Amino acid sequence: MRAYKTILPFIKKTWHHYIVGIVLLMLVDVANLMVPQVLRMFTDWAQKGQLNVEKVWICVMGILGLGIFISIGRYIWRTQLYGTAKELEYWLRDKLFKHYLILDANYYKHNKIGDLMAHATNDVKAVSNSMGGGIMMIIDSVFMTLLTVFMMIVTVGFKITLVALLALPFISLAIGIVSKPVQKRSKDVQNTFSELTTEVQENLSGIRVIKATGVENIRSKGFSSVNKKYRQRNMDLVRMNGLFHPIIDLFSGISFVVFLVFGSHQILTGVITLGAFVAVINYLHMIIWPMVALGMIANMFQRGIASMERLNIIFAEKYEIVEKENPVEIESPDGSIKFENVSFRYEDGLPRVLENISFELKPGKSLAILGRTGSGKSTIIDLLLRLYDVSNGKILFSGVDIRELKLEQLRSSIAAVPQDSFLFSRSVADNIAFSLKEPIEIDFIQEAAKFAKVHDDITSMPDGYDTIIGERGVTLSGGQKQRLCIARAYLRHAPLLILDDSLSAVDTETEDEILQHLRELGQSLILISQRISAVKNADHIIVMDEGKIIQEGTHEHLMSHKSGFYRTLYDHQRLETQLDQKLRREEAVVDEE
Amino acid sequence: MKNNGILKENKIIKRLFKYALPYWKQFALVLFLILIITGTSLLQPKLVQIMIDNHLMDFSGGMTEDLLNEELSGVFKISMLYIGTVLINFVATYSQFWVLNKAGQSILLSIRQELYDHILDLPMSFFDTNPLGNLVTRVTNDTENLNEMFTSVLTSLFQNLVSILGIIIIMLIMNVKLGLMVLSLSPVIVAISVIFRNAIGKVYDSQRKVLSRINNHLSENISGMGIIQMFHQEQKVYDEFDRADREYLKESRREVKYFATYRPAVEMIRSIGIALLIWYGGKGYLTEVITFGVLYAFIEYIQRFFYPILGLAETYNIIQSALTSSKRIFSLMDEKSSIENAEDPIFIDRFKGKVEFENVWFAYKGDDWVLKDVSFRIKPGEFVAFVGATGAGKSSIMNLIVRFYDIQKGKILIDGVDVRKYDIQSLRRAIGLVQQDVFLFSGSIERNITLGRDEVKRDDAIKAAKLVNADNFIIRLPKGYDEPVMERGATLSAGQRQLLSYARTISTDPSMLILDEATANIDTETELLIQDAISKMSKNRTMIAVAHRISTIADADNIIVMSHGKIAEQGTKDELLGRDGIFRVLYELQYKQ
Repeated sequence: MRAYKTILPFIKKTWHHYIVGIVLLMLVDVANLMVPQVLRMFTDWAQKGQLNVEKVWICVMGILGLGIFISIGRYIWRTQLYGTAKELEYWLRDKLFKHYLILDANYYKHNKIGDLMAHATNDVKAVSNSMGGGIMMIIDSVFMTLLTVFMMIVTVGFKITLVALLALPFISLAIGIVSKPVQKRSKDVQNTFSELTTEVQENLSGIRVIKATGVENIRSKGFSSVNKKYRQRNMDLVRMNGLFHPIIDLFSGISFVVFLVFGSHQILTGVITLGAFVAVINYLHMIIWPMVALGMIANMFQRGIASMERLNIIFAEKYEIVEKENPVEIESPDGSIKFENVSFRYEDGLPRVLENISFELKPGKSLAILGRTGSGKSTIIDLLLRLYDVSNGKILFSGVDIRELKLEQLRSSIAAVPQDSFLFSRSVADNIAFSLKEPIEIDFIQEAAKFAKVHDDITSMPDGYDTIIGERGVTLSGGQKQRLCIARAYLRHAPLLILDDSLSAVDTETEDEILQHLRELGQSLILISQRISAVKNADHIIVMDEGKIIQEGTHEHLMSHKSGFYRTLYDHQRLETQLDQKLRREEAVVDEE
Repeated sequence: MKNNGILKENKIIKRLFKYALPYWKQFALVLFLILIITGTSLLQPKLVQIMIDNHLMDFSGGMTEDLLNEELSGVFKISMLYIGTVLINFVATYSQFWVLNKAGQSILLSIRQELYDHILDLPMSFFDTNPLGNLVTRVTNDTENLNEMFTSVLTSLFQNLVSILGIIIIMLIMNVKLGLMVLSLSPVIVAISVIFRNAIGKVYDSQRKVLSRINNHLSENISGMGIIQMFHQEQKVYDEFDRADREYLKESRREVKYFATYRPAVEMIRSIGIALLIWYGGKGYLTEVITFGVLYAFIEYIQRFFYPILGLAETYNIIQSALTSSKRIFSLMDEKSSIENAEDPIFIDRFKGKVEFENVWFAYKGDDWVLKDVSFRIKPGEFVAFVGATGAGKSSIMNLIVRFYDIQKGKILIDGVDVRKYDIQSLRRAIGLVQQDVFLFSGSIERNITLGRDEVKRDDAIKAAKLVNADNFIIRLPKGYDEPVMERGATLSAGQRQLLSYARTISTDPSMLILDEATANIDTETELLIQDAISKMSKNRTMIAVAHRISTIADADNIIVMSHGKIAEQGTKDELLGRDGIFRVLYELQYKQ
């Protein structure tokens, strides 16, 4: 229960709902227990021959009055308890999502999306359930049980109550015993279900191999065994699950019969009245649910606690990137950058991704970083944006150590186009304007799109700028995605613009035009690329390999090193261009034919 | 997915029924057990009524020992009958649940298997156009939805109807007037239930929609967290998430409110029912038309009367969701394979290895021609390399030889016979195909080579692995050939994966080999192993390769250069190098690298 400390602030805010809910739940329980008393009165009057129209009327009004009270009371406690539980669900999910938003890149590297999603739905629900239905069950099982037993004792005395109730605790016991394996077996069923899913997924992904080798029959047998296992697991669950209701009926039936025999004896020997007998029969019905609830409570809270603990782990997760107290805020950042002996590794013990990197970018100038995949190019950008903090050395932005700087200012002063061109499943316009807090006029969005040479593509989409992108919308080509990301970054109008291999899927002519546009902007510019054509006009070029700078200088300077990495790459890419041209010529010939 | 004609609801039910037919004995037993269950539970109040009326009513204090014993033995007899009903009920309920689920699970098992086998038989073009996720869902989740159709709909329909009828009959026999009075309440209950069902159905519907929105937000924002933080748009993203989250809360509150209204409303009707019983019954008792026991039994029956009515309302929803899933399943089952086996297919073990393309035209879609009038001839034992830029049509040629697709115009002959005349599976088994992307299944290394094919023994696997130079790295794995492949081979290097796929293909010692070379970068050491493997594999068999490596190209007897769906150049390496064509540039490019 310690785990629930996390929701204390919520309880403090909503305790009155809980109090009202619990009090009404108890009152409804009391009212429920009064119904048999009315029946008892009626029966006794009837049996003694004292019944008359007036007394029948009293009983009718009693039943109706209690019915109305119970109905209204029930409405109130349900809305109070369950309603608050739903609020709790919202509150927890809200807290969790807020936390997700501040956890840093490193956290997301180590956790699967599926798990993080499950926390926000399943775990949050499990906690909320324990605080809604769970509380109701506690009240019912404790308060209602005590009250029913009390009423029975009052009605028929201690001895007969004891005898009648003898069999009932077995319900709680049996359910308590059965719940654990039921839960375990449902988990087995779930696991086997994912096994089944994986099997289908794997084979359909490998369908080419299966078809090419003609092993459809063999894979079908493989599926068949998982399929059968799944049925088996389901039946294992059924065997346990199927006990639930029969057990309840069995023990309540036994306790009922025991009372029938003893109760009848007591009536016939004049110890109790027939009315008391009828009342107790009703009480025996009523006490079944609390007994069932008693058996289920432990399980429900176990699940709630387990979920709460999982959530607490996330809440306790520290984020490494923390803004300094009283961070520096620069009046107008000039977009200059200085790396001073920067080294970086993702975690202690892992090899360094960057080693002793130093360079400088003056305001309004352009810097290009060239290197193979995995050479550490993109890490430089992650560090610059403070998605990670450097392990050694420091990074200055507009002359200030970025760790001193207000995080929001740092990030809003840099417009980056990351490598993986991530776009959200929303409209094209929304994606371009993503970096802005306030909605802006479409003219500005179009201007950005024209800047990134993607305007024509957009206007030819089904809904133009309102076209939804992604799974539920149109699929874009790699080049279109990249250009949209450039438009998105452009709209930031930040003093520093970074393009991380963001033109790789764009054809050379368009690339040239966009690069030309970028240079005309007059902002500081960092270009990361594997293509010489993209970097050759930069004021300064850095060539990276395995986390180190291996060459730097201007294009002309780097070209003069005949055996250098830069020159080799240049020669290779020139040949590729030649081939491209040749193929085009070939195509022209083919088309003429 | 294409929908071949609209499936009508009654047709779907008929088809579902066909799957249930083999289990008619089980279903008959289940229905019989339900009759017993319903009978025993309806008998219980009747027994108490008899007990009250015959033995407990006429007690007036002093009673002789004999009389007491006589009454007690009567009570005891009835109690024993009662306990009998409890025990029978216990056994019957559990057996019914078990038999029913066993039948249901078995039906699901066969539907799942049939569907899966059907999907495996569908042609490649089907997999090109249908998202994998959807297909997986059909086999897993949709069949799961059918479970309730077989296990709950049929039985609950029957059980509820039998209960309702049974109670009505018993009540009318006991007392027509009271019976009709209770019956008069049923339209109210039905009306309330139907209204509630509709209302709550809508709530659940929008809940589902909002929840999937929440899930989309979560999955998208978690995967795009880098971008969000980079652009400092946490607030905006939060606001959007919060909107969905709040909407979900709103729907949850509605759910709580509806239940908080519905349950008490039913409760109220019941109170009214009991009040009415007491009113009329009380008056009837006064005029000695009704016995007290009957009144008691009626109060019991009114409680039991409402549940089945509520249950029937529930059934309707289940049917709806199961029908939706069935529709999807059946329309997938009706999907026909466009690549059909010939009527009198030729079964083949080994080809001589002559391949001819005669004026082949081929398009994956419409008239987007991938191959335009392609003709060539490959002699048995020859090694032919296809060369060209991406999208030139090389891989399509490979796909056509193994008949992954059928061509639109022209002819493809193997050993002088049209490929369409061969039995598809035997054709594919006789030709070894190495695909560009290596796909590894979960399971051991050995299993990944043999793929469970009977004709490939462990020795063959090892022999094949040795031939392609895979044996070296395999025996160094902790468990050698029994080492499990994790995460589709993520722990192996790209080169090792390729060697494995070579071993897999060569393990049947096919006389024809098709190799679609991978373009991935591979370390020099493995590169040499691969080169050696290819040259060893090309011995003594017809080999057709889509080649990227200069070494592979150099080994070939004949090189066919493809460009835009046509053959641009053809000849030996030296011939082609002598010309100033595409090949020369390609060659230089590879060589430079």
